Amino acid sequence: MVTCLGDLFYPEVGERIVRLLRRLGVAVEFPAGQTCCGLPLFNSGYHEEAATVARRTVRLFDGDTPVVVPSGSCAWMVKHEYPGLMKDAADRAAATRLAARTWELSQFLVRGLGRSRFVAAVRGRLTYHDSCHLLRGLHEAESPRVLLRALAGAELVELPNADECCGFGGSFAVRLPDVSSAILDRKLAAVEASGADCVVACDAGCLMQMRGGLGRRGSRVRALHLAEVLDVEGEPS
Amino acid sequence: MATKAEFLGRIRAEMARTPGLFTVAAAPWPARPGERLALLRRELAERWPATLERFARELERVGGVFHRVASPGEVAGLVADLARAGAMERVVAWAPGALGLDLAGPLAARGLSAVAMPEGDVAASERTRLREVAAVADLGVTGVDLAIAETGTLVVVSGAGRPRSTSLLPPCHVAVLDREALVESLEQAGLVLEAWHDGEAGPAGGASINFITGPSRTADIELTLTRGVHGPKELHAVFVEQGLARPRHG
Amino acid sequence: MSEPEVATPLRERTGHALRDPFLQQALTIATTRFIDLRREAFGDFPDGESLRDRARAIKEATLQRLDHHVERLVASVESRGGHVHYAVTAEEARAIVLDIARRSGARLAVKSKSMATEEIHLNEALATAGVTPVETDLGEYIIQLAHERPSHIIAPAIHKTRGQVAELFERELKRPAAPDPEALTAIAREELRRRFLDADLGITGANFAVAETGTVVLVTNEGNGRMVTSLPRVHVALMGVEKVIPSMSDLMVFLAVLARSATGQKLSVYTSLVSGPRRGGELEGPEEFHLVLLDNGRIAQIAGSLREALACLRCGACLNVCPVYRQIGGHAYGYTYPGPIGILLTAMLNGPRSVKDLAHASSLCGACADACPVRIDIPRMLIELRREVDERRIAPRGERAAFRALARLLVRPAWYRLTARVARVLQAPFVRGRTIRRVPFDLGEWTRTRDLPAVAPRTFQERWAALEREGR
Repeated sequence: MVTCLGDLFYPEVGERIVRLLRRLGVAVEFPAGQTCCGLPLFNSGYHEEAATVARRTVRLFDGDTPVVVPSGSCAWMVKHEYPGLMKDAADRAAATRLAARTWELSQFLVRGLGRSRFVAAVRGRLTYHDSCHLLRGLHEAESPRVLLRALAGAELVELPNADECCGFGGSFAVRLPDVSSAILDRKLAAVEASGADCVVACDAGCLMQMRGGLGRRGSRVRALHLAEVLDVEGEPS
Repeated sequence: MATKAEFLGRIRAEMARTPGLFTVAAAPWPARPGERLALLRRELAERWPATLERFARELERVGGVFHRVASPGEVAGLVADLARAGAMERVVAWAPGALGLDLAGPLAARGLSAVAMPEGDVAASERTRLREVAAVADLGVTGVDLAIAETGTLVVVSGAGRPRSTSLLPPCHVAVLDREALVESLEQAGLVLEAWHDGEAGPAGGASINFITGPSRTADIELTLTRGVHGPKELHAVFVEQGLARPRHG
Repeated sequence: MSEPEVATPLRERTGHALRDPFLQQALTIATTRFIDLRREAFGDFPDGESLRDRARAIKEATLQRLDHHVERLVASVESRGGHVHYAVTAEEARAIVLDIARRSGARLAVKSKSMATEEIHLNEALATAGVTPVETDLGEYIIQLAHERPSHIIAPAIHKTRGQVAELFERELKRPAAPDPEALTAIAREELRRRFLDADLGITGANFAVAETGTVVLVTNEGNGRMVTSLPRVHVALMGVEKVIPSMSDLMVFLAVLARSATGQKLSVYTSLVSGPRRGGELEGPEEFHLVLLDNGRIAQIAGSLREALACLRCGACLNVCPVYRQIGGHAYGYTYPGPIGILLTAMLNGPRSVKDLAHASSLCGACADACPVRIDIPRMLIELRREVDERRIAPRGERAAFRALARLLVRPAWYRLTARVARVLQAPFVRGRTIRRVPFDLGEWTRTRDLPAVAPRTFQERWAALEREGR
């Protein structure tokens, strides 16, 4: 599942993931006709509409192949909210099955495939920002860090208050832009204080927010998706 | 203004809509706190030295001062020393029967002005006067009904001869306890409170029970910790090894 | 509706807070300190997690049989010689307290910090009726002198500096005051001591009420709760009806998590258990004890969508960890209860219309639910509130139309792909490299402070065919 932000804004991330998985021996399929998981609708309270979108996605991903999602929030939506949104029992059963075989990327690599040793696609010091849905929704703080710590050619430094929100929050970022930006300032100040050359996240929403803020500041620090810093040994992509 | 029946009616109307909404079912606490307490007391009797050590440690952590004397007779000397160190003169104390100790005489002998509170019912005008006495006192001496080791907490129950003000109005509070008061945890304290309510001979049956964990404090101005805002600035706990001659309860 | 609607728009209120450099600094220092203290307190408390579960379970079990526990509480209070009153609305609650004040001839009332009395705006009503209310919690005293409202549930005056407090004391108390917390505290002690001894009426809230024993429980650090419940002739405790808990053993579970969550203490300094008026033989204690049970929107939530919020202990932990609260502080929320839990409580008290904007004042990061001692799922209920705001057509028509249009787009992949292509054309004048630095209309809210990524020259879906071939 590529997710809307991944599809429209960060297609390179999707490409890297496909190549990475293939090099790990995983065959990758991409069901056509994907749009968005419906999280923006759900979070803003438009639940019937979100359910319609979700039902379509459940059908699109019918089968028994694991589904890998490059964004913690979208993975959380599928895993935690899809089943409850379905009114019809058959739909709910299908959503529950989908939820069970849906993985956020870092979790899939570490917990699904048991792979944690990669080489760095970027040089220097990395720091990691916990995205809220991955951390508190999927209770995952370890997998991304396992990957980054084991990364040959780069050094992981802990981000002070890594578990604090970046201020994105979907429509929140435009409904209360000043508050959202103030939260982002705090996050970016921590990123810059960490001395890292790049901040890694596992959520397209956080990346959009942090990249947007860093770009505007003219910062030398880059905000990258996890997939953008992982390479398989010997075969740089 | 609603009546009790109307108010409960509103609650019941809503409760009728709750089935299936809550994930947790009511799990009643085991009954017979008295029996459970008797069992607990036997266990505590064997472990008291460790309990006392933990109590002293926790008390000091919250800013209290721990003292230990061998006999009740040594308490007056200790109180007099504390008073002298803090340039304090006026002492109020619980009634001798409630405290298990008569302090007024020995303290007066040491040059302090000491008032022991009366144990029986007194007239309203006398109550007002005694409150003023407590309000201007420098130091108040009370007993302790429970001492909770886990948190360094002193539990005092109000009642005849045990005014609430003694541990509240003077800037220095000295609490005298013995091993009978010690419990290990909040959970055990809860059990004792239930047993008292359940008809076990509770202490003196006043309407106010206070858990005191350290001196009065505030951090309301710029989060700066300041002691003694309304209650005492100083808190001392005096442990009497040989025990106090108080009527036992629980 | 118990609270007046706030006239200034939320955006303006938050803007105000964000532009106040002192407030910003105070908020950062205070919330960071509280976060650290809480973390330490639970860090060396191995039973903490299971006690949080138990605390939540007790609340849920109690709410399921609330009628029984309330009846029990009433019977116990009355058997101890106390009086119980029932208030469905804030107005009724005020009338009950005023009536008690009138009958007892009270002129001066001392108060121990209580969110419930704030919620019903009792002080204004008392003053109008000729009773002077004096707040005695130091923080509350400061903001009362300043004619302000609390900005934090447990640290009401964190928005004031020592210098501001000293100036305030000099102006209002007409005495010299040095800008030193110790000296200022001593002044407050002296001023308020006289008030405690002179007051006719003591007014408190209740952190808990134990049904079994008819006991109102007050938790304070300063000792003002003890003063207020011991010295005046009459004691009135006002509490939300959801504060009832069954037994003393239950109380201990809550005490073990409450102070740790609020201030990082194992226990607050004073936990006062008050059961009715002064008993025979006692020197002090009120002649009359009144318990006012307050509904004010709570009962309707027993089976309502906000029912989890009835478990709230008012510890303030969710405020400290909330990234939004940490930026805007309590006043910007506009109602009595600030922070993420405050949005839910405001909706409970004043209906969903009152939070049509506030419901969106959260990034849904979930830090609040993590910090909550009784694990209230605040983000889920905020989403639920947003849903109600939509369903009851409180949300602006334009917004609702936009989201419905988005939904239609997302189930029609051809439209979705077309939109991407159209966006690429429209964005062209604004794109520099792969980012957009400024756009008109609503998205301008984003680009005022942040670059916006441009729709990629080729989306992932458009790249897939090539990528698929590469894999063969």
